[in-house]
Amino acid sequence: MLQEIIAFAILGFAVAFLIKKFFFKPKKKKDCGDGNCGCS
Amino acid sequence: MSVQNINVALIGNPNTGKTSVFNQLTGLNQQVGNYPGITVEKKIGFCKLPHGIKANILDLPGTYSLNASSMDESVVIELLLNKNDKLYPDVAVVVTDVENLKRNLLIYTQIKDLEIPTILVINMADRMETKGITLDIPLLEEKLKTKIALISSRKGTGIEDLKNLIVSYKTIQHEPCLNTFDIDPEYFSSLQNLFPNQLLYKLWLVITQDVNFSNLDRNEIRNAFTKSHSELKRLQQKETIKRYQFINDVLKDGLKIDASMAKDIRAKLDRVLTHKVWGYVIFLGILFLIFQSIFSWSTIPMDFIDGTFASLSSWAAEELPSGILTDLLSQGIIPGIGGVIIFIPQIAFLFLFISILEESGYMSRVVFLMDKIMRRFGLSGKSVVPLISGTACAIPAIMATRNIENWKERLITILVTPFTTCSARLPVYAIIISLVIPSKRVLGILNLQGLTLMFLYVLGFATAILSAYILNKVLKLDTKTYFVVEMPNYKLPLFKNVGINVVEKTKAFIVGAGKIILAISVILWFLASYGPGKDFNEAEAIVKERTAGKQLTEIQVENEIASQKLENSYIGLMGRAIEPAISPLGYDWKIGIALISSFAAREVFVGTLATIYSVGDSDNEATIKSKMQAEVSPSTGKKIFNFATGISLLLFYAFAMQCASTLAITKKETNSWKWPAMQLVFMSGLAYFVALISYQLLK
Amino acid sequence: MQNTIHTLKKGEKAIIKDFDIEVIPLKLLEMGCLPGSEVELLQIAPFGDPLYLDINGSHVAIRIETARQIEVVLIKNNLQ
Repeated sequence: MLQEIIAFAILGFAVAFLIKKFFFKPKKKKDCGDGNCGCS
Repeated sequence: MSVQNINVALIGNPNTGKTSVFNQLTGLNQQVGNYPGITVEKKIGFCKLPHGIKANILDLPGTYSLNASSMDESVVIELLLNKNDKLYPDVAVVVTDVENLKRNLLIYTQIKDLEIPTILVINMADRMETKGITLDIPLLEEKLKTKIALISSRKGTGIEDLKNLIVSYKTIQHEPCLNTFDIDPEYFSSLQNLFPNQLLYKLWLVITQDVNFSNLDRNEIRNAFTKSHSELKRLQQKETIKRYQFINDVLKDGLKIDASMAKDIRAKLDRVLTHKVWGYVIFLGILFLIFQSIFSWSTIPMDFIDGTFASLSSWAAEELPSGILTDLLSQGIIPGIGGVIIFIPQIAFLFLFISILEESGYMSRVVFLMDKIMRRFGLSGKSVVPLISGTACAIPAIMATRNIENWKERLITILVTPFTTCSARLPVYAIIISLVIPSKRVLGILNLQGLTLMFLYVLGFATAILSAYILNKVLKLDTKTYFVVEMPNYKLPLFKNVGINVVEKTKAFIVGAGKIILAISVILWFLASYGPGKDFNEAEAIVKERTAGKQLTEIQVENEIASQKLENSYIGLMGRAIEPAISPLGYDWKIGIALISSFAAREVFVGTLATIYSVGDSDNEATIKSKMQAEVSPSTGKKIFNFATGISLLLFYAFAMQCASTLAITKKETNSWKWPAMQLVFMSGLAYFVALISYQLLK
Repeated sequence: MQNTIHTLKKGEKAIIKDFDIEVIPLKLLEMGCLPGSEVELLQIAPFGDPLYLDINGSHVAIRIETARQIEVVLIKNNLQ
């Protein structure tokens, strides 16, 4: 029973991690400057 | 008990040995992270100074001036303008080197003008004799209004002096070197009148740079004082001229060179290494040597890692209490981690070589030799390092594009680097080649299998270059091109620096790719171990019924049950669902499953087939290869892994974008969704098409 | 015909006269490329581009399109 809980918890973390990695908007605090970082 | 904690910022031109100084001060007490929101590395270390004072040492990116021309450099200026930043330095240490003192001092004078206590380090003291250089330190200290530590990071001398100087930073004069007024008295006196409480030089920096200044809004200053872009540039030019006048004045008496004593190895080496024929021959020779070494040296550690994880997995299955967590561990997590660790030898070796080439100064010559050729394809000479690094792993390679100033050239480099044959493709290539390419010798000496591998490498590079060419024509990006590369003096690489560099790059791979691969391995295991419907859940009963009349051993029945389960698990259903789309390429549903999971990370292909065959067969240690060789199509009775399918698979893997980690880093470095999406669509489409044609032609 | 860095031959030395700052990046100035600085052409890359220079003690490489923008005055060298 405990094994099941832990295993599925791990699954949950894995899914959440991937979603965060790919669908999360990186936070930007400042302007990029003269276009060197590719905002254009 | 007075234990003080001070912030020390290390600033200076690239190639001055600043990193060595950092390493000597902090040893291994370093942390590398990222500045929030951008992809510049933040290096902080910790150092115990005399008199019980502790220092946080921040190694800022190498920069020639506070006028930032790249993201790296803008980090420096942002920090120095923001007194409220918790890393704002109590004392700045500007590292210069004896051979380039004139140019190195430019940033020194700028920092001094910010009225931060600044210590000057003159490094490479060990070179003074061979270059015939003598310094009048007391005079320099007086004219530059600071204290100087003359050190040799290579020999390890002078570091204690530096530490003592840092400790007594409060005694250093605050006076600026240049009176900002003098640049243009009229403009600056009006500016000062408007903002009497701000340091004039700071105001000037805020106006000319695109940085945020915490106390004052940049727009507020700009609107108060409009000058055209060209006028500002003209003033910046004047400022630079004035600074150099000051520096020349100081060095006139402070630095003497006796040219008769100087021995010029640099010129001799340059003549050979940038020669129009020998330069390239030597470069290709070095590349060949690198690849040879990597292949022969990494097999032993890789085999060791492979064996270790296989044993670990069996151990877990046998010793841990049975249940799904144990299964997840032994079949999903442990192999998943092993699949990442096994690449460390290759990646580490490659970065070892690249690091040595960079530290020695040779890389700049390569950039010099390759720039014109690369430009024809929309790339820069500086694209060479990422492209070569891509043969280890695209993730650190893409990070290495940060020093390409031109955005279009950098973008194209980022987009095409994944075509180069990365380490992850090798296990796939290796197993397919050994299955379908005969181990014959051609022309007496060339091994056919080896040739095929080499061909795939060349194909990777060629495709990268060709795509760059196309992208260059197609992308309409209006960027000004300028290219300024410092050609540092040649020096023997310092082992410590190389070592730390290799560790950092390898960590980048493990952390960047590793987490994603592990997460996907976990998910894949679940998809392979659970299934909807009764075909899965009642597998045992179904199989027992099906095989009732046949004479099967217990093991054979177990295999049948495992197969039944696999075919009807979630991933089995996914594989079957795409089978019609991939059978024109010569693949069956099992290969289909492996393909799907490879979209996580290429090397997962072999591991997935291992999982499929071992999940479908309770023997964990059977060799994958013999399984694959034996695999036969249920409908035609012919071998699945035949020549046509093999070639089709090789080509598919050469071209497909199958690395979620690469997509993630592309997204990060280009700050947009557009580019990784384009990579995915274009590369996978190309892969499908080529694999299709090759299978149809060869079958 | 104006001499620019582009027209220098290998080993030739010159003094930088002037250039249009709109076209030359500030970074190059900060590396020491200023009116009055001495420049020597050390090596030319195999296809003629980039150029490896010693400007005011700084060893740098720049592309031809930038070199073309920088006017120079040759230093006559009597010793050969």
